[in-house]
Amino acid sequence: MLFEQVLQQIINGLMLGSIYISVAVAFTLAIGILNFLNFTIPALYMLAGMVGWSLSHYGLPFGLSGPIHWGLALVIGIICAILASLLVERFTYRYFKMKHGDATEHAIPLVSSLGFLLIFEYLILIAHGSDTRGFSTPFTNLDWKTAGFIISIPQLASLILSILIVAALSFLLSRTKVGRALRAIAENPDAATMMGIDVDRIVPIVFILIGFLCGISASIFAINYHEVSPYMGDHVGTKAIAAMVIGGLGSVWGAIAGGLIVGLSETLSIYFFGASSAQITVWSLLLILVVFKPTGLFGHNAIGKGKF
Amino acid sequence: MLNVENIDVRYGAIHALKNVSISVGESEIVTVVGSNGAGKSSLLRAIAGTTKVSKGSISFKKQRINSLSAPSRVKSGLTLVPEGRQIFVSMTVEENLLLGAHSRTGSEVKNSIESIFDRFSNLAERRNQLASVLSGGEQQMLAIGRAMVAKPRLMMLDEPSLGLSPILVSQLFELIKELHSQGISILIVEQNTKLALKTAQRGYILELGSVRQEGTVDELAADKILAEAYLGESN
Ligand SMILES: Nc1ncnc2c1ncn2[C@@H]1O[C@H](COP(=O)(O)OP(=O)(O)O)[C@@H](O)[C@H]1O
Ligand SMILES: [Mg+2]
Repeated sequence: MLFEQVLQQIINGLMLGSIYISVAVAFTLAIGILNFLNFTIPALYMLAGMVGWSLSHYGLPFGLSGPIHWGLALVIGIICAILASLLVERFTYRYFKMKHGDATEHAIPLVSSLGFLLIFEYLILIAHGSDTRGFSTPFTNLDWKTAGFIISIPQLASLILSILIVAALSFLLSRTKVGRALRAIAENPDAATMMGIDVDRIVPIVFILIGFLCGISASIFAINYHEVSPYMGDHVGTKAIAAMVIGGLGSVWGAIAGGLIVGLSETLSIYFFGASSAQITVWSLLLILVVFKPTGLFGHNAIGKGKF
Repeated sequence: MLNVENIDVRYGAIHALKNVSISVGESEIVTVVGSNGAGKSSLLRAIAGTTKVSKGSISFKKQRINSLSAPSRVKSGLTLVPEGRQIFVSMTVEENLLLGAHSRTGSEVKNSIESIFDRFSNLAERRNQLASVLSGGEQQMLAIGRAMVAKPRLMMLDEPSLGLSPILVSQLFELIKELHSQGISILIVEQNTKLALKTAQRGYILELGSVRQEGTVDELAADKILAEAYLGESN
């Protein structure tokens, strides 16, 4: 009986992990290509969820329309996350690169991105208050019961979707001209410029991908857990950073493993030690891992910049 | 082909280039020599557009290019083989060449890359290996091959012979002459002053950020101070 319950927790943990995968990949793109720990990422995730909820609940602002279909609402939410991400690029990364020639060697862009996180969060708090909101979709009870286990079909689909997106991204990075240019920028932005790569034109692509990944992940969360809140980004943000480090900085496939491991340790920890234990378990695991393998599970043999 | 007029380059308080003027004519090999810190790399980077000039004008193919970005300058036919090669060690040999052709499109790119592999069999053998496994000489060949696939009109080379064995150095200079015979203009910065003066037609001596002397290579070779400082022919 205990065994079966634990197995059910493992299933739940893997499903939860699928939420972390895309956000962890977003963090890993920013670090791996731009050497930029982009703290706005949790807010982009929250923005997509809250905009999606607001549109499906109230409709467009200023009474322009009634409530919008939940699917369309989430798509618009994802677009908002992408636009917000481009705003962050303009005022943190690009601004410092233009003014000071480099945006990666000091902490100011990082602090600026933290500023954007708080501003986005408080704008949503002013607009909608701090309550957790229900997000309803037609898929509330689509469970697949097999051998005594419950697997939610939307969750399984989400896990597969997350892995497919990461696979597509990995293909983009390794096989396309844009991906090659991105990897060149990751390794040596100066030399990339000398190859005729227009760094200023290509860097926004990274931010578009970041916004997209956050938006997808938030949509998956809203569909599977039927709720959104202005604080949803905070919960996923720290776990996704942990997932990135566990999987290996700059490793897209490592982010999948890291996301699933964090999801698993979170649900098992809650099952055995109670709700407050999750962060302690996840971060202890991370701290122990980095002592023995500072590059993470799938990181390359050097830590940090330029590892795709 | 290239005209640099009275440029200044500053890094904060450091005044790296002062009122420097040089030119490279159609299918000419020109060399810039000078001791460490004289400003040679700054000059090439200013021409390539990766370092800002605070004064003066740079024109290429009769067009003023001061306001062109570095990538646009590559597109217009100006490439730099940077100091220290700066190949992408996390990528394969072939990917490095593909990056060199980044500013080009179309089916000819593939042919250009194959012609590099035809020329450098060492690179062909390792086309799918990471560039980090290449020896120093092979890395320099890759750096030059990468510049060649950009189809430049003017190729600038920053100390290409650094760290190479004498045999590789003479192969390198043969290659440079061959590129020149194909109609590519060359601007080469060298520590190996002797070989540079033997290969080039004209040259400039850069000292503390200023052009101290310019002229044909014979004129420069006859310069007493240069001979003492760089050719080791006095004592
Ligand atoms: N990025 C930089 N920042 C500050 N100073 C620099 C930079 N690059 C070069 N310098 C300085 O400018 C001067 C010229 O350097 P450089 O152009 O590299 O000379 P060279 O290539 O002839 O050795 C040197 O004093 C050097 O220290
Ligand atoms: Mg130099």
